Amino acid sequence: MTDRGEVKERPAAPAAEPHAQDAPGARPADDARRRGRRPGGRRPTGRWRRRLARNPLAILGIGIIALFLLVVAFAPFIAPYRAETQNLRTTYVPPGAGVSFRGPEGQPGLWVSPVTRSPVGGVSVDASQAYPVRLFQRGPEYTWLFGLIRSDRHLFGVDGPVRFHLLGTDEQGRDLFSRIVYGAWISLFIGLISVGIGVGVGAPIGAVSAFFGGWVDMVVQRVIDTMLAFPGILLAIVLVATFGTGLTNLMVAVGIAAVPIYARIVRGSVLTIKNQEYVEAAGALGRRRMSTLFRHVVPNALAPIIVQSSLQMAIAILFAAGLGFLGLGARPPQPEWGLMLARGREYLAVAPHVATFPGMAIILVVLGFNLLGDALRDALDPRK
Amino acid sequence: MFQYTLRRLLVALPSLLGVLIIVFLMVRLAPGDPALLLAGEFADAATVERIRERFGLDDSYLVQFQRFITGVVQGDLGRSTRTSRLVTEDLADYFPNTVELAAASIVFALLVGVGLGIVSALRSNTWVDALAMVLALVGVSMPTFWFALLAIRFFSVEQGWFPVAGHGTLAHLVLPAVTLGLSSTGIIARMTRSALLEVLGQDYVRTARAKGGTPGSIVFKHALRNALVPVLTVGGLEFGSLLAGAVITETVFNWPGVGRMLVNSILARDYPVVQGAVLLIAVSFIVVNLLVDLVYGLIDPRIRYD
Repeated sequence: MTDRGEVKERPAAPAAEPHAQDAPGARPADDARRRGRRPGGRRPTGRWRRRLARNPLAILGIGIIALFLLVVAFAPFIAPYRAETQNLRTTYVPPGAGVSFRGPEGQPGLWVSPVTRSPVGGVSVDASQAYPVRLFQRGPEYTWLFGLIRSDRHLFGVDGPVRFHLLGTDEQGRDLFSRIVYGAWISLFIGLISVGIGVGVGAPIGAVSAFFGGWVDMVVQRVIDTMLAFPGILLAIVLVATFGTGLTNLMVAVGIAAVPIYARIVRGSVLTIKNQEYVEAAGALGRRRMSTLFRHVVPNALAPIIVQSSLQMAIAILFAAGLGFLGLGARPPQPEWGLMLARGREYLAVAPHVATFPGMAIILVVLGFNLLGDALRDALDPRK
Repeated sequence: MFQYTLRRLLVALPSLLGVLIIVFLMVRLAPGDPALLLAGEFADAATVERIRERFGLDDSYLVQFQRFITGVVQGDLGRSTRTSRLVTEDLADYFPNTVELAAASIVFALLVGVGLGIVSALRSNTWVDALAMVLALVGVSMPTFWFALLAIRFFSVEQGWFPVAGHGTLAHLVLPAVTLGLSSTGIIARMTRSALLEVLGQDYVRTARAKGGTPGSIVFKHALRNALVPVLTVGGLEFGSLLAGAVITETVFNWPGVGRMLVNSILARDYPVVQGAVLLIAVSFIVVNLLVDLVYGLIDPRIRYD
């Protein structure tokens, strides 16, 4: 506003004076600077970010992913208990059992009474005792940041000799909420490894294939066709069946299943880019072909890779959960969400919550990455 | 059209060969003695030696591969190490059930997905559109087995409308078909929406509107016909992947299909059956994709000349 104010203070200034002429002319540039833009034009890189920020679904997706990352990063702090701690006297406790919103003397807050599984079925609540749930409560000790930090403070916990199970317990009396929180990193890790293998192996293959063409392209394309002849999850299943089950093999398998997808995407964008003038110019200036490919072509093929990577995170997490569910992925007692669901399936009639909550966690995270991927595709689309 | 067909067939051939190579290598690359894998873990030494001899596992890979191909072409995929039944017999028993399930799913997905897509496109950028598209995305993001468990609990255990698992009557088919079709429904709904929106913006639709066509006739007589071409293609491709995606759904609902057979045989390390099931699923996927390509060329002549 100061710019405009100054201009208005000097309305009578003769037009012939140079600084008076400068003032209105400088205004657009100043406006641009105030909004964080370079004067003299919009930066193309800023445009997609603004488009993303204006899309409510993108914000939702980013919010979900941010929450997910926070949970992974602060898992021991957020989870009130360890993932493996069993208690065979409190199996299948449904969420909310023994929890009330009034204390023994009518105090407000969250109060927890001792709960035990009764031999005849169902749970019995000892309402004569109640202990308050507090934020930043002391609980089981944990180490954080690879053992650098040692603490026993948790986001919430009970001030008393009972346990508070936000989402209930599973068939071994383990706290479901803590298991889901600790399981988050497995999903994130699977997604990252899968995307890493997909991009790291698939993108160079696709780029080289398209850039050099000829028989190289021919051979690579047939190999990729073959890999794509295995629909979706089947290629991962084949790899796991060949090299054995388990979390490590599963991650590699889901990653390899992503390789042909990246190879094809990168091949497509390199094919369109390689005939553009700036690439031709680089060749004319005497750059070697490999160096042209990685200095000029690949950076311009990044947009579809980024979009695919968000969607691929979603696919990988789903695949991993599916394979875990089938018993081909993580092994007990790992708190992998698909595996937890598979265990919950056996107790569906007794304790539906054991299967319900890990499934919700999967949906939420997968939805987050799908939302972000979709929004990125729209935002990075140069036609808009 | 003949040339187009021939070209598509030729493109499919290397994929087929590649699938054969991968299935062949599965047993040979797996850790452990392939003879032991093919004979099963409970086989005695004599059986293992017999298998080694029969498949010539001491020969070079090239010779072995040639023998493998010959076997496949003659319909010999070996015997199950658990049941000693011919793998081809098992496949012949189970495959129709998988096709039945996938077909029911794709019908469901097309009906619901296209409907959702049309509503979304006609009300584009309203809350109806947003709701439909978020629903479609949730469908894509949902783990099928989770939905299956909830559906079993609610519709079978509590309401008793459908059987919990198994195969036989139409009632057995409903829950597995819906479960399997869910993610395809989402994909088809999104595809229908974008295809219809694109077509609705074209000149000939404006002409139809200018001539005084009712909104219904414009959408259903003019726009939808062209919008559905890519949708049907996606539907066809989805059908192909449903044949493979049925792995999880079949396991949850105990559906006697190739997918359940594959999972059970992997867990039991019954390698001849694993090979047979993988081969059948991959080959049927290739064949379905080929058919979709050919039908696409038939519906849309522009495709043939690319």
